[in-house]
Amino acid sequence: MTASPRVTLSRRRFLSLTGALAAGGLALGATGLWPRWALAEPALARRLLRLGRDIYPHESIEDRYYLASLSPLLEEQRDAVATGLDDLDRRARAAHGSDYAGIEDDAEREVLLQEIQHTPFFAQVKGNLLMGIYNNPDLWPLFGYGGSSWEQGGYRHRGFDATPDWL
Amino acid sequence: MSRQFDLNDDGLVVIIGSGAGGGTLANELAQKGIRSVVLEAGKRFTMEDIENDEWGMFNKISWLDQRNLVGPSRLAEDFPHLPAWIVKGVGGSTIHWAGVAMRFQEHEFKMKTLNGAIPGANVEDWPLSLQDLEPYYALAERKMGVCGTEATGMPFHGKSTHYQVIEAGANRIGARCEQAHLAINTRPFDGRAPCQVTGFCMQGCRFGAKWSTMYTEIPKAEATGNVEVRPNCMALRIEHDRDGKATGVLYVDADGVEQFQKARLVAVAANSIESPRLLLNSASSLFPDGLANSSGQVGKNYMTHVTGGSYAEFDHPVHMERSTVVPGIVKEWDDNDPSRGHVGGYELEALHLGLPFMAAFLDPGAANGWGRQFARSMENYSRMAGFWICGEDLALETNRITLHPTERDPYGLPVPVVHKADHDNDTRMRNHAYRMSKELFTAIGAHHVNDLPPYPASHNMGTNRMHANARDGVVNQWGQSHDIDNLFISDGSQFTSSGTENPTLTIVALTIRQAEYIAERMTRGEL
Ligand SMILES: Cc1cc2nc3c(=O)[nH]c(=O)nc-3n(C[C@H](O)[C@H](O)[C@H](O)COP(=O)(O)OP(=O)(O)OC[C@H]3O[C@@H](n4cnc5c(N)ncnc54)[C@H](O)[C@@H]3O)c2cc1C
Ligand code: SF4
Repeated sequence: MTASPRVTLSRRRFLSLTGALAAGGLALGATGLWPRWALAEPALARRLLRLGRDIYPHESIEDRYYLASLSPLLEEQRDAVATGLDDLDRRARAAHGSDYAGIEDDAEREVLLQEIQHTPFFAQVKGNLLMGIYNNPDLWPLFGYGGSSWEQGGYRHRGFDATPDWL
Repeated sequence: MSRQFDLNDDGLVVIIGSGAGGGTLANELAQKGIRSVVLEAGKRFTMEDIENDEWGMFNKISWLDQRNLVGPSRLAEDFPHLPAWIVKGVGGSTIHWAGVAMRFQEHEFKMKTLNGAIPGANVEDWPLSLQDLEPYYALAERKMGVCGTEATGMPFHGKSTHYQVIEAGANRIGARCEQAHLAINTRPFDGRAPCQVTGFCMQGCRFGAKWSTMYTEIPKAEATGNVEVRPNCMALRIEHDRDGKATGVLYVDADGVEQFQKARLVAVAANSIESPRLLLNSASSLFPDGLANSSGQVGKNYMTHVTGGSYAEFDHPVHMERSTVVPGIVKEWDDNDPSRGHVGGYELEALHLGLPFMAAFLDPGAANGWGRQFARSMENYSRMAGFWICGEDLALETNRITLHPTERDPYGLPVPVVHKADHDNDTRMRNHAYRMSKELFTAIGAHHVNDLPPYPASHNMGTNRMHANARDGVVNQWGQSHDIDNLFISDGSQFTSSGTENPTLTIVALTIRQAEYIAERMTRGEL
């Protein structure tokens, strides 16, 4: 894939564009809406959360969406997940003398993930998050994606041919 | 609903598959009073089954029986069991298709004459010309309701925002860009509604504005009383008599029971992986290499178009999904100009994916598509515009469908193995397309352009190709097999070359022409 340098929106701009700021999207720490397994094993949940937020880092998306995406995986393969996380922590300690979640530099964590990106563990966590984050209608407004439109008669009379003022 | 025919009725045409080829053939024959049974492996869907939901529809209607993809390609790494994106259902892939309906260009029927022999490729001329096909193109455009054509007089859709962005880029760099000819109504046509611009053409059209055999050809055929459609019926093999004439089709019915339907003529329209697979699975002592395979070309020359994607990120909103899926096409490089470094042309088709599919295809594969840069691109979704690259794919003998020596599917049939690799020409063409796309988008201020690798093939062609002589091809210019008079191929596997254009209009035109030929020969008692 291309890796050219790029201008990107600041987090604050993204939040304000998507309305997440106004909607209280900053209540990231609240555990009230966590799935049951996460409440039962908060330590495991926090380790997974760090991993999930490094795979698909979207600051405006609340923790509970990451955790809910992983619920089926946790229910079916809790031990395999724990083993995968232990392996990641071992690699982190060898490289940085700290557990994975304790490494503060984003780029350093990303390098560690590149080491394990070909493992079934990584693929499974990523696959579940892919569906839970990007195939989740609750989150589509954050990305400016409209989703199903036939119920509203499509965009035929809702500006499909609007002329962009920036061209 | 369907009339019912007897299994022992040997006066019937048996058509395998109900998509662009099979569904059209059934209706064309039915209108001429010729009776047929259509065997369709998939189920019958209703308009209520059609949702604006990418994964929901993919899981509901795709062909997900096991297929193995091998070969040195990123596609084989990313999708080892999903070489192609094909529908299993009454209507076939015309439920999912985007509706782009373009005629081939004159030179595309003569790629060998034009370019000479190309090392490493197996390119041949078609046994027919654009002039031969022109009247049938017009009939096909009329049948399918293609906008922007003389045949229908229907206007284009009007310029969506996505189109306007791409047109501006094309103008800036002096590239030819046009609204797309789509088999999608822009006003009421043929008893179907005009497009509402939902943006979900590739999930099926809930309003029936887009042509699909599911709700056009098939019900029209059934209404004549000449056609029985049997859903959930998977053809296993085609049988023949001692003289090598096809006698009927063995299939598994909806209850899992094997049945044998007698036939006067068999037409195979199961799309370019299943069609050759069926011929290979029908090997017998008389035809040890499979039916209609004296040339050895059955299953070879598998073409998918040279594809890829290019998605640009801007600082300003685009909302590409508020549009027909393909609103327009940049045609600047659709000619055969070897000075570009490759033979054959390509088109840049403006095409949007929804957010779920963008996440899956931006950088596909189990190990790819994650991290900060990926997430930033996804956050730019509403400020993206992009192309699907569609270019001429050269025929290669080594790109082929074979049968797995040991793995079987639930029907007990050997699993198909699809081998697909790039010819150097393909790679050079794709790179040229990436470069031109980037130039176009950068010219109007894109700050980042993503090159997307190919996703599972939606266009599948060439595996039972047409050729003037029996040594080099499987069927003649009417899709009739060289070896067996009453065995026809009625889908994209007949294509001698892929052309630059999306295949379905050509499949339908060939099928109309084929139906005329079959009817004439039957009347003369020759079939
Ligand atoms: C997402 C997408 C977008 C596309 N967009 C375009 C476009 O814009 N323009 C264009 O020209 N083309 C497009 N295409 C391609 C187009 O759909 C195909 O070219 C066309 O449908 C092929 O027709 P066909 O008759 O060969 O096969 P299909 O339409 O695929 O029909 C084959 C049918 O045969 C059935 N079948 C297979 N094996 C058996 C068996 N053994 N027994 C019984 N039944 C069997 C299958 O279930 C299927 O229903 C698109 C395809 C996809 C998936
Ligand atoms: S955009 Fe038009 S053709 Fe496409 S699915 Fe919607 S209504 Fe149908």
